[in-house]
Amino acid sequence: MQFPGLAKPPVGIVFDSTMGRIDDVLALAMLHGFDGKDQARIAAICVSSADLQAAQFCDAVGRFYASATTGPAAMFMHFMPIGLADSKPAAESPMLSKAVYPNSIKSINDTADPATLIRNELMAQYDQNAAVVLSGPATDLAKLLDTFGAKEWVARKVRLLCVADAGIQADTAAAEKVFAEWPTPIVTVGREIGEALPFPGDSIEKDFAYASAHPVADAYRAYRPMPYDAPSWALAAMLYAVHPNDGYFKLSGSGNRRELIFDPDQKDRIIKTYIEMASAKPVARKPRHPVDEKKDEKKDDKKEEEKKKDPAQ
Amino acid sequence: MITKKALPRRTFLRGMGTAVALPFLDAMVPALAAATTSKPPVRMAFVYVPNGIIMDGWNPDYEGKLGELPRILKPLEPYRQDITLFGNLTHNTGRALLDGAGDHGRCCASYLTGVQPRKTVIDIKAGVSFDQIVANQVGKTTRFPSLELGMEDARQAGDCDSGYSCAYTNNLAWKSETQPLPPVLDPRALFERLFGNGMALTPAARARENLYRRSILDFVSDDTRKLETGLGPTDRRKLDEYLSSIREIERQIEKAEKDNAQIDPHMEKPYGVPADFAEHFKLMSDMMTVAFQSDLTRVITFLVTHEGTSRPYREIDIPDGHHPLTHHRNQPDLIEKVTQINSYHVRQFAAWIAKMRTIREGDGSLLDNCMIVYGAGLSDGNRHLHEDLPTLIAGRGGSHFKTGRRIVYRKETPMCNLYLAMMDRMGVHVEHFGDSTGRLEALDLT
Repeated sequence: MQFPGLAKPPVGIVFDSTMGRIDDVLALAMLHGFDGKDQARIAAICVSSADLQAAQFCDAVGRFYASATTGPAAMFMHFMPIGLADSKPAAESPMLSKAVYPNSIKSINDTADPATLIRNELMAQYDQNAAVVLSGPATDLAKLLDTFGAKEWVARKVRLLCVADAGIQADTAAAEKVFAEWPTPIVTVGREIGEALPFPGDSIEKDFAYASAHPVADAYRAYRPMPYDAPSWALAAMLYAVHPNDGYFKLSGSGNRRELIFDPDQKDRIIKTYIEMASAKPVARKPRHPVDEKKDEKKDDKKEEEKKKDPAQ
Repeated sequence: MITKKALPRRTFLRGMGTAVALPFLDAMVPALAAATTSKPPVRMAFVYVPNGIIMDGWNPDYEGKLGELPRILKPLEPYRQDITLFGNLTHNTGRALLDGAGDHGRCCASYLTGVQPRKTVIDIKAGVSFDQIVANQVGKTTRFPSLELGMEDARQAGDCDSGYSCAYTNNLAWKSETQPLPPVLDPRALFERLFGNGMALTPAARARENLYRRSILDFVSDDTRKLETGLGPTDRRKLDEYLSSIREIERQIEKAEKDNAQIDPHMEKPYGVPADFAEHFKLMSDMMTVAFQSDLTRVITFLVTHEGTSRPYREIDIPDGHHPLTHHRNQPDLIEKVTQINSYHVRQFAAWIAKMRTIREGDGSLLDNCMIVYGAGLSDGNRHLHEDLPTLIAGRGGSHFKTGRRIVYRKETPMCNLYLAMMDRMGVHVEHFGDSTGRLEALDLT
């Protein structure tokens, strides 16, 4: 959610993935890191396979990062639902097999239809101040394009669709539709990028150790036998979507369909940013509904007037 | 028997004897007449309560068949087989969507329009509400395309919520995107609108007036018929023309009767706005019952109190304002008071439902042929949430709905999906409305 009257908010990110690979999990953590540092805002998180545990995991991660928020802000904190596809069931992932972290999802009715959720959340973004990160099949986005009126909202609100190539072939029809009809520029992240920029596995025991129980670190450990470095397709897509103009990557070609190009000179900087954002500590959030400044101004004016009348105050 | 559609005037004139002998209500109420030959019409109403609901007292902890109901819904427990309770319906257009504060103004203005209202106190703009889309089509067959009722302050100008015009908080129905339809608040004004300004105060006096009016008509028609025998072709044609003109006069009188006084509400004419909330609610609901029963209208919106109201409820020993209480900051004593107000509202509604159940129509009850939505534009009034809106429907929408259930949909399911489904039951078919993404499923018996 973005609000007028405050400073222009950072880009709102819609993240749609299967949450079936560890780079999806790390990209989700990165997004929370960006959000905590006010470099991006989470607009919507969706799971593009019918995997309830993946949705539970996303919800649990959200609650983990919200845990630093206490007091009145916590009372007014509002957890947006997780989008969950109801189409193709996903293979069970070892990293998500135990929903040991607190979450609010018991059944599919505790999740939202991704297309509806994305449409609704885009409506709350400033024009051209949202980006969509896709890692996995484009099923949800194809459905979004078919939702009445949603294509217009996408064209109005979204400035970029960033697609991690890995996994998109799981639904070729949806991919073809999205590449043909999506109304904004599209940037794709090739397989070679993710492999050239591995997330270092030793960061897990070091940088995530601030929490005795960390859902992202636990997922990393469960995904494959440690130690291992993880390809970073989804992380690269997330980083570019949030900071397209900060020189992390170059782009090939021109027009509305372009590809990320890996710049070896940026490797250390990119991996450092991966680690910094994915392992960022939870930050206390402000209330979702900000204080009405005008009301406060009026109250302040009243107080000033009262003070003038009664200087003893 | 007189019906607006068949209008068997010849049969009436030749065979029914005097008008006085006719059973008054059966002859003059088209809806009841229709019941003997075809299915009764489906009607819909919206009963809107403001400032959200304490959802812990509203939502059962189960889905499917309704059993024991939570505290706020308890008054409806005897009628649980007649209601459908919905979960997770959402009005996204009630949310801020970059417009900042003003959830009360937005949630009321978007409730039936499905659009985000313009934030303004001057050049208001929302959308045509779906009740009016229905009224435009089915309302052609009734005296009133729709009725808009309320019980509190119907101010249309000024700032009622953080820059939102009072027109947004005080109206449910919108005829166009710039023209809300203010509710009638005064029971007497509503009575006179429904049954005529000149209507006598008591049912007995009204019956006498109508008997007299009908007996004059019979006298004229009997005299004319005696002239038919023994006339030549030319005179017969003249007589036909004469009979036709009499029939036309009859039709006009009949229409005037229908428009003015033909429907006997079987109640005393109210003298004004009762101070007592429950009494006021009962009067309004009694007249809604008659309006449906006599097919005066098939579409009603009822804004119980306006959105953001700070009305106290001294009737139940709550002197605090409703709206301030709803910002309870999780304080148990304040939550308890809001719960009592929510329950009090439902109690009045349940009494209306009880009455609607007792009125026989077709093969069932009047309620069976209605869809009466009870709900609010906010769920949690403390946090101003626009999802999982408290929503129930009483009635079977013409014996279509499978009632007695709680159906929980996926989160963010647009409320407008319910409206599309309701429009279908009303015989009005549109593809999209507001922010709908499809028709609400799993409602029907089939």
